[in-house]
Amino acid sequence: MHEFFGSFMIKKNILVALIIFFFSILWLGFFNLQIVKQDTYLQKSLNNSVRKETLLPVRGLIRDRTGRILVDNTAAYAVAVIPKVVKTAVLDSVTAFLKLDKKRVLKKIKRNSGFRPVTIARDVDRKKLIYLEENRLHFPGVITLLEPKRFYRDSVYSPHLFGAIGEVSVEDQKRNPSYENGELIGKSALEKEYDAELRGAAGVVYKMVDASGRELGRFDNEFNVAPQHGSDIFLTMDYNMQAFAESLMTDKRGALVALDVRTGGVLAMVSKPDYDPRLLAGKIDAATWNKLLNDEGHPLYSRAIQSVYPPGSTYKIVTALAALQEKIITPEWQVYCPGYFKLGRRTIRCWNAGGHGDVDLYGAIKGSCNVYFYKLGLKIGLDIWEKYSKLFAFGSKTGIDLPNESAGLVPSTQYFNRRYGKNGWTKGNLANLAIGQGELLVTPLQMAQFAMILANRGTYYRPHLLDHTYNFAEKENSFYPVEPHYVRGISRENYDVVLEGMRRVMNGGTGWRGKVPGVEMAGKTGTAQNPHGESHAWFITFAPFDIPEVAVAVIIENGGGGGANAAPVARKFLEKYFYNRLIPRPAPKKKIEEELVPIDSLILPMEIPGPMLMIPSLEDSL
Amino acid sequence: MRLKIDYNITLLVSALLAIGLVAVYSATSSGSGENAYFQRQLIYAVTGFLIMVSMPYLSYRFLERISYVLYAFSVLLLVLVTFIGVKGFGAERWLAVGPIKIQPSEFAKITTVMAVARYLSDRDVNVNRLKAFITVTLLILTPFLLIIKQPDLGTSLVFLALYLPLLFWAGLNGFALFLIISPLITVLLSFNIWALVVWLILISGFLYFSRKKWLILLAIVSVHIGIGFATPYMWDQLHDYQKNRIETFLNPEHDPRGAGYQIIQSQVAIGSGGVWGKGFLNGTQTHLKFLPAQHTDFIFSVIAEEWGLVGVTVVLLLFLALLIYLISLASVVKARYASITLIGVAAILFFHIFVNIGMTVGVAPVTGLPLPLISYGGSFMLSTMLMLGIVQNLSHNRYQM
Repeated sequence: MHEFFGSFMIKKNILVALIIFFFSILWLGFFNLQIVKQDTYLQKSLNNSVRKETLLPVRGLIRDRTGRILVDNTAAYAVAVIPKVVKTAVLDSVTAFLKLDKKRVLKKIKRNSGFRPVTIARDVDRKKLIYLEENRLHFPGVITLLEPKRFYRDSVYSPHLFGAIGEVSVEDQKRNPSYENGELIGKSALEKEYDAELRGAAGVVYKMVDASGRELGRFDNEFNVAPQHGSDIFLTMDYNMQAFAESLMTDKRGALVALDVRTGGVLAMVSKPDYDPRLLAGKIDAATWNKLLNDEGHPLYSRAIQSVYPPGSTYKIVTALAALQEKIITPEWQVYCPGYFKLGRRTIRCWNAGGHGDVDLYGAIKGSCNVYFYKLGLKIGLDIWEKYSKLFAFGSKTGIDLPNESAGLVPSTQYFNRRYGKNGWTKGNLANLAIGQGELLVTPLQMAQFAMILANRGTYYRPHLLDHTYNFAEKENSFYPVEPHYVRGISRENYDVVLEGMRRVMNGGTGWRGKVPGVEMAGKTGTAQNPHGESHAWFITFAPFDIPEVAVAVIIENGGGGGANAAPVARKFLEKYFYNRLIPRPAPKKKIEEELVPIDSLILPMEIPGPMLMIPSLEDSL
Repeated sequence: MRLKIDYNITLLVSALLAIGLVAVYSATSSGSGENAYFQRQLIYAVTGFLIMVSMPYLSYRFLERISYVLYAFSVLLLVLVTFIGVKGFGAERWLAVGPIKIQPSEFAKITTVMAVARYLSDRDVNVNRLKAFITVTLLILTPFLLIIKQPDLGTSLVFLALYLPLLFWAGLNGFALFLIISPLITVLLSFNIWALVVWLILISGFLYFSRKKWLILLAIVSVHIGIGFATPYMWDQLHDYQKNRIETFLNPEHDPRGAGYQIIQSQVAIGSGGVWGKGFLNGTQTHLKFLPAQHTDFIFSVIAEEWGLVGVTVVLLLFLALLIYLISLASVVKARYASITLIGVAAILFFHIFVNIGMTVGVAPVTGLPLPLISYGGSFMLSTMLMLGIVQNLSHNRYQM
């Protein structure tokens, strides 16, 4: 013990001396490099002849259920500058040659001050490219890069499904720090939602270059990293059905959503008017962009998931189910409809001015009797109405695999109190809600989901476009998780009652124009009045009745009556679905009265919010 | 309330951490605002700092008592990692615990030091007896072999570097030290016959004055002669890539595109920095990303390029001050356990610093050892700060027996 401590001072000095000795060796090493040989190394660093370049991965393709390629890649060339090398004069001549906005280019270069190439123009045409390549010596610091762009196969349209890719913005980088400056990423729709799967991973190649930046060959393959191919994604739809659905909606404004009720897979999703996705692939022309942005038809906007509308009479099904389940009425409960309804001092007319006479619930659904449902609405009250609306997933996003979905709106007592004051609203508001008018707002996708819930009597699946992705590295498919959700607390008998009513709608009721010959169906029409003009035509349906496969929701903006204008669109879609052709129809023999717009409603629906455009600015997309 | 911290260590560590953060920022900045590496490293540094200053609040007795348990636990983790470890850059060294990745080899360093210190601090143990000598050897050799199998040569060498300083500090006699060190020198000199002959004569002279039995001396000398002549033959038996690595270390230019690439690029970066450096974010070699692993293993080249010899000198002096302080502390603490642990920590830090910085400047081979407190990396940062936290604890309890 003593010996141990006795020699401490000597040992300490030995160790300290050793450490100082080794540190001196290190310091002399730096002295040698940084003082003695500084000039040599400075020269070497200036001439360092190896450049690191990013190898862009191939972006995954988008295919339909059958494997058909919908969105492909094609080669394009981009022009980039290296900020620390390029001189102002060179920059001037290049921006002038490429006809670029010099201020914007300068701003962009300012964000990237290093040696990494900054892309200033994309999708440059071949003539200009060749000129730049040939005159490379006059443009030090300017390089050309191969950069794939999206290519849409013939007859492929659907811009709202695929979306576009564009250059990463500061906001994108905040959301996902792994995005590097100048990278191309998915900006909207599927391209954005599945960007992580589609984009793959960049590779690296080291190249020998001379002082002017010209390539002399590869450096050493050992250091290179190959890029990783992005995954292909396969959709749940057969694109033939989608294309057909789009053709049905041509020249209309509105949306069509068709779901496979057994999985929630989207069979078709159309929003019109739309635009050619080719316009936003590669270089985007500022004039084209502004034209799209300012078009009063809002083609950039996906009506199927982003627009909200009052659902009109289609919503009577919710009111009916709520009343049955709460045992407020039985299916046999009857109302006499004289063609009008008196609430306080006001008189509201049913769409059928002649009146429906004595109707029970089946008859009221079949004939879409407003008087019946006004009365029913007053009986069930706002709170129960709200409870069942939310039970059927209205007022919240469906969670479909697309960005920027709207949640719609299910007004509650608190909502009315906040909006109109405690005594500022009346039973009239409630009566209006019971027939799907007023403040209630839904998306076409929510209506299709509602039809799926009815078809499965309470079971539903999250709507989704993706069937599976295929990973090239692991050679593996990974499937979208299809899990059942349940609307709880509604008995089978009550579903049977309303579904019977909806079956009658198709057989001699307001929806007869939607009937596919030989297929038993259930459906409901709606005519949602709107303060901006003609009513919106609604139709929801599912088929076949006994073993349902497909649910469809159609809305035609300002289309008039739902039975006359929306139902035929759904019918044609389903004919194609069941028979792969349209069934020729004889001229109707019996005249069934049109569903008219209720002329004197209690309260006009609230101002429909103008389309909320969540579209990146032009600057980000360039 | 007075904080239980050692201000000298805390100040030196803070300064080095700050320099490290600046260097990591520069090495990973892409020119735009966001820098995920820097943000993560900042979180590691702050967390590590909190760990360090909270360690003195642990009981000193408790630390001493759980030394063996911790050692056994880290050996267990090292065994586990060979079976269920995650591959990182080709070598099996990560252990995934939920979202966290643990590098058991990092924590094995300090636990090995604590276990050896615990053993040698026992009054009944005499380091100059064969039994004690063998026990210490086994304690160090076990983690060494497990880590070299991963295969992580750099980290495993840290354990060998512990061996001599710990034995030396614990009072191993000069003759035994001579027996351990001299064969290494013989190996190094065996490639030049004249140097070898002179060295063998020196050994014989030293042995003559040691007054041991003739037979023992004869055996030692003949072992040395054997080693001296066998080494060149052994060299020929090495794999080409192994020879290549050593030759590259001795002469980087001999293979500028392959194994010498990192060394040459590092030296160009350092040399072009000059006296004052190129300035923050202005290192051309750094920002062209010529240097591989420039935010981890070659971080010091970034400092040298951007801050020049002045910056290099400052960092070296800070490290030197920290090491000398640790050794001085080891000579004043009352308890043997604390004293030996401090020397162990100093040895670990010294080895990392010398090999890492030496590698960038070309006086040590490329082994992949990170630079303490400076290099990017969470596991290494946290284990370093844990080690310094234990030092803080020992400093606070320096008068305890």
